[in-house]
Amino acid sequence: MKLVWKLLRQHVSIPQFMGFFFANLVGVVIILLGVQFYNDYQALDQEDSFMKADYLIVNRKIGALSGLTGKSNAFSQSDIEELGNENFVERIGAFTPSSFNVRARFDVEDFVKFSTEMFFESVPDDFVDVKSDAWHYEAGNEEIPIILPKNYLDLYNFGYAQGKGLPKLSEGILGAMKLHIEIAGNGHSDNFMGRIVGFSSRLNTILVPESFMQWANAQYASSDAVKEPTRLIMEVNNPTDERITSFLQEHDYETDEEKLDASKTTFVLRVVVSIVMAVGFVISILSFYILMLSVFLLVQKNSSKLENLLLIGYSPAKVSFPYQALTVGLNVLVLLLAIIIMCVVRSYYLTMFENFFPDIVAPGIQPALCVGVVLLVVVSIFNIIAVRSKVMSIWKRKE
Amino acid sequence: MDKIQLIDTLPNVFQNRTDVVSDIWNQRVEFEKGKLYLVEANSGTGKSSLCSYIFGYRHDYKGQILFDGEDVRNYSVSQWTDIRKRHFALLWQELRMFPELTAWENVEIKNKLTGHQTKEQILEWFEMLGIPEKLNAKLGRMSFGQQQRVALIRALCQPFDFLLVDEPISHLDDANADIMGTIMVAEAKKQGAGIISTSIGKHIELPYDKVFNL
Repeated sequence: MKLVWKLLRQHVSIPQFMGFFFANLVGVVIILLGVQFYNDYQALDQEDSFMKADYLIVNRKIGALSGLTGKSNAFSQSDIEELGNENFVERIGAFTPSSFNVRARFDVEDFVKFSTEMFFESVPDDFVDVKSDAWHYEAGNEEIPIILPKNYLDLYNFGYAQGKGLPKLSEGILGAMKLHIEIAGNGHSDNFMGRIVGFSSRLNTILVPESFMQWANAQYASSDAVKEPTRLIMEVNNPTDERITSFLQEHDYETDEEKLDASKTTFVLRVVVSIVMAVGFVISILSFYILMLSVFLLVQKNSSKLENLLLIGYSPAKVSFPYQALTVGLNVLVLLLAIIIMCVVRSYYLTMFENFFPDIVAPGIQPALCVGVVLLVVVSIFNIIAVRSKVMSIWKRKE
Repeated sequence: MDKIQLIDTLPNVFQNRTDVVSDIWNQRVEFEKGKLYLVEANSGTGKSSLCSYIFGYRHDYKGQILFDGEDVRNYSVSQWTDIRKRHFALLWQELRMFPELTAWENVEIKNKLTGHQTKEQILEWFEMLGIPEKLNAKLGRMSFGQQQRVALIRALCQPFDFLLVDEPISHLDDANADIMGTIMVAEAKKQGAGIISTSIGKHIELPYDKVFNL
């Protein structure tokens, strides 16, 4: 094989292959960085792992007089259906409020005891992004999974604990603690344990699984207390859609603008990253074209050598191998270098991210690696087939 | 492979000619393993075409060429590769060597593929043919006669049932032609192989079993 390579490397044009190498390197680096950057950004955005960014929470505006006029701020069934039929809505679900009394007690290190009246709400389980076994309630269980608003923790840590010199609590510590819950209504009264599954910054309510809510409402609520929902949760296909804003205004509904803005940012970022990756992809395709052209040129220039090798008994596979190895080797080299460059650039922007979000845990580089390897395999298969078919055309050029 | 048969074989370019008088074209011809054949030809009678057809390099003929009764038109790529590697050695008139490589490398590139000859045997042939000092010379710098001798050595670096030599001594003196003939016959005998030699005029003096006029 050494002699075959000595023979076939004649006419290998270093400048052409360098041209391919750098063009492809630029393309692959752009693609990998795009994938990785988007992925890292998503991790920042995943601060709230319980609610996806494309969820909006809608309620009626509460005017100064609405309390006095007694006009309900609840949604009727027909309101929900009307909203659900709009094109921009993918799914819609209602918040179910609790119709019973809830009292919670919370002990911190024996000497601080909080006790408060509170309430529960639930949304359909498929809107909650928690592993199903953690977000599950069976009738009669003593333990209730709960998601608390992150604001509560902030209020305690930065307001109460700061002022009283009490220890600050992290999400992790709180998750390990038990919440004593007493539920009363309809002539019953029972004790439960709350298990905090997590904190949500997107949801300012105390969330329990829907299965628990249905069971508890049936058990503890007085029979005439069927309430209509006052808040709706919906998944939209494009949060930047103008129709959402106009529909909400028309019906006097409101949603958290900030969330809408955050969704818009994510959406715009997704578009920008897609464009950048498309550019990278085009560069890669063009460089692939350069590579194919120079390999074809090489095969053409060396066609008599290739033909003679075939005529002294070398198989087309053996004759193709050196050029296939050359192109695949270049592709591997490009990928390795691209991954290194990506990691260097990434370490720069991660430092920047960390300044803004100190507790961010950067995800791995697996997504970029996967994309890179898939790209490598696809391009290499094309190269191998192209070289082989070129050699076969020499084999057949006998007529 | 024991037998090569040509049945009514005729190059496509001769199809409209009515004056083709030949022992081979448009005839039934058989070459058997173990025998010596000479094909004498004038230029333009299709000698190189004949070699190319039998070697599977060209297919622009009508009629049939059979190896052991099987039509070679149906041969697959891997079958041809196998034929060229193990059953059929060809010394091309135009040699088809690699001028970029040395004489030794030109032989080695074939012997590496087949692993058929020992280094000693190859060196002995270089010695016998009077070109031992050319072993490491670039083939492109050697005379055609010298290249012809290297090409023969390369052709012998494989197992074969038939050795086809196309004008092997066109650029050799009689002494070297005799040595070449001796080596060819000895190697063919060792393998029980047949030899088909072509010439336009000058040919190696061998005890031919049959002489054809193309």
